[in-house]
Amino acid sequence: MKRRIDLLDKSYMVTITGEHGAQQIQVDDDKPSPVALIDKKDGRHKIHLSGKQEDIQMAVKGETAYIHAFGRTFTLGVVDPVEQASQESDSGSNSALAPMPGMVVDVHIAKGDKVTKGQSMIVIESMKILTIITAPRDGEVSIVNFVPGKTFDKNDVLVTLIEKEDA
Amino acid sequence: MKDIKKVLIPNRGEIACRILRSLERMDITSVIVYHAVDADTPAVLMADEKVEIQGVTPVSAYLDVEQIINACKKTGADAVHPGFGFLAENADFARRIEQEGIIFIGPRPEVIEMMGNKVAARTFCIENNFPLAPSVTLTAQDADFIKSVKQIDLPLLIKAAAGGGGKGMQIVNEWKDLETAVQLAREEARRSFGNSEVYAEQYVEKSRHIEVQVVADHHGNIIHLGERECSIQRRFQKIIEESPAPSLAPELRKAICDTAVEITRKAEYRNAGTVEFILAPEGKFYFLEMNTRLQVEHPVTEMVTGVDLVELQICVARGESLPLIQEQVQANGHAIEMRLYAEDPENDFLPATGQLLVYQMPSGKKVRVENGYAKGMMVSSAFDPMLAKLIVHGEDRNAALEQGAKALKDTLILGVTTNTDYLARILSHPSFLAGKVDTDFIPQYAEDLKSPTLNKEERNMLLAATALSSREFVDPAFKVPEPHCFLGNWRN
Repeated sequence: MKRRIDLLDKSYMVTITGEHGAQQIQVDDDKPSPVALIDKKDGRHKIHLSGKQEDIQMAVKGETAYIHAFGRTFTLGVVDPVEQASQESDSGSNSALAPMPGMVVDVHIAKGDKVTKGQSMIVIESMKILTIITAPRDGEVSIVNFVPGKTFDKNDVLVTLIEKEDA
Repeated sequence: MKDIKKVLIPNRGEIACRILRSLERMDITSVIVYHAVDADTPAVLMADEKVEIQGVTPVSAYLDVEQIINACKKTGADAVHPGFGFLAENADFARRIEQEGIIFIGPRPEVIEMMGNKVAARTFCIENNFPLAPSVTLTAQDADFIKSVKQIDLPLLIKAAAGGGGKGMQIVNEWKDLETAVQLAREEARRSFGNSEVYAEQYVEKSRHIEVQVVADHHGNIIHLGERECSIQRRFQKIIEESPAPSLAPELRKAICDTAVEITRKAEYRNAGTVEFILAPEGKFYFLEMNTRLQVEHPVTEMVTGVDLVELQICVARGESLPLIQEQVQANGHAIEMRLYAEDPENDFLPATGQLLVYQMPSGKKVRVENGYAKGMMVSSAFDPMLAKLIVHGEDRNAALEQGAKALKDTLILGVTTNTDYLARILSHPSFLAGKVDTDFIPQYAEDLKSPTLNKEERNMLLAATALSSREFVDPAFKVPEPHCFLGNWRN
């Protein structure tokens, strides 16, 4: 089975082969290595990889794994192939995404406005903290998805810029 | 003497639980008001009686004075303990409560009003010769304001007159940023406090934040319960506090505590309060503000003095004399509080949300846990992102630090990003261990405090653990025959 897994802003192609008890993992184009995961209950797990082992704590919800290991907590997401395809077609730099859930407080731009990289576009509020959402690049605003007072979730597209055309 | 037999708490989370524990011990009946989103929280389950309140947003329910007064009448509560946040420093609320013949467990409305408006509090200090930071107080409209602010040296802070909790505060390092900072501060102040008045104050770099816990009764008795060191801050909000303050000369400690008592006396303050000071590197200290309520970090004082501050608040509200005099206040050992926040230290401390899939709090004789959440609960953006507080005690600072590290190690929260590991890194930082702290600690040591980097082997272990526990990989139902693979997974 082959899926992309997101970890710390990077994406890795992970392939698992073999039956339970004799599984191998391949990360991107690296060589496959023997791997086993032992569930020790209450979130405690032991991971064996290429002869080494580590005690980790992990909880899984949907396609997201939350792991405490190596002195910190990680969030890993298994990417659904459909979602992956849609993400790839929607280039990030054309849109400003919400960094966290919250509410739109103020909108400084409108459809058709020319913006320069770093220019303030929208002010959002989350847990009483105001944050300015700036333009990801120079361009022209094509869609403003929210008006003041509207709430949004993390990663919702707040503003879309017109696709760059070759001049 | 007014008796208090039933107390209503218009609050939620860990502070509601903390007040409930004192009420139970004092054999006082408790009532909690709650919004539906909090129906299954520990505080609502703990209270003797509960009254549901409504609001467009959960926060607006907890700010609805009329609903809270109705709940008091309905349940026959004779007093209200506001906790902190929400209506705790709302003078109009305190006034309305008293008009209804209900006791407000806190200071007089006039003092809440004066100390709540930072500009008025500063005027009070100037009139009474209490030390103030080098600053200019300006409340004029934008154009004048910006012109006049330039009289102060950089860096400076723009603060909300009605501010608190770090909200509506902006630091200005360069003049070109001034206008945006003023705008943001005004907007945040208007939204958080309903008052867009702001003022500018010189930012004292490398200073420490030292505050003094005071309690005053209605008979002229005032005591202080020592100081707290609260310099470890991010976003102008404290995340680690301790008592006593490390390496503070005894004469300076006495001068700061005595000044706090004098401010309390001059303000004719009653009940528990906290006087906050800025301590500049050269040893001068300045009044910052007075918080007219119980504070988030009050447990460190309780841990070293053995006093129950909520109990003292209730005694004072009943009209009793303070049960102890200054000489009877004994500080014993050292206490440190660590605030667990749902936030991402790797991403500018932005609040995080999600479900608490694993939620393990530490336990033991030397650790006190103030917690308002439980496993399975959702952490939403509706409230402040603080989840819990861990307070540890030791016979000296080193012993307390050891306990603190252990408590954090025994804490495990999965499902929501938290600052648990970040706190552990602060606690083990050489400068923190040496007691060398100031309000620039977090930006100054940003590099040291970053998460350890992940090597390739560790990274692959994480990917492997995720893959092997993911149904996408292991559940045969997800094995789609080749020709259909491109359709992806069908989900409901």
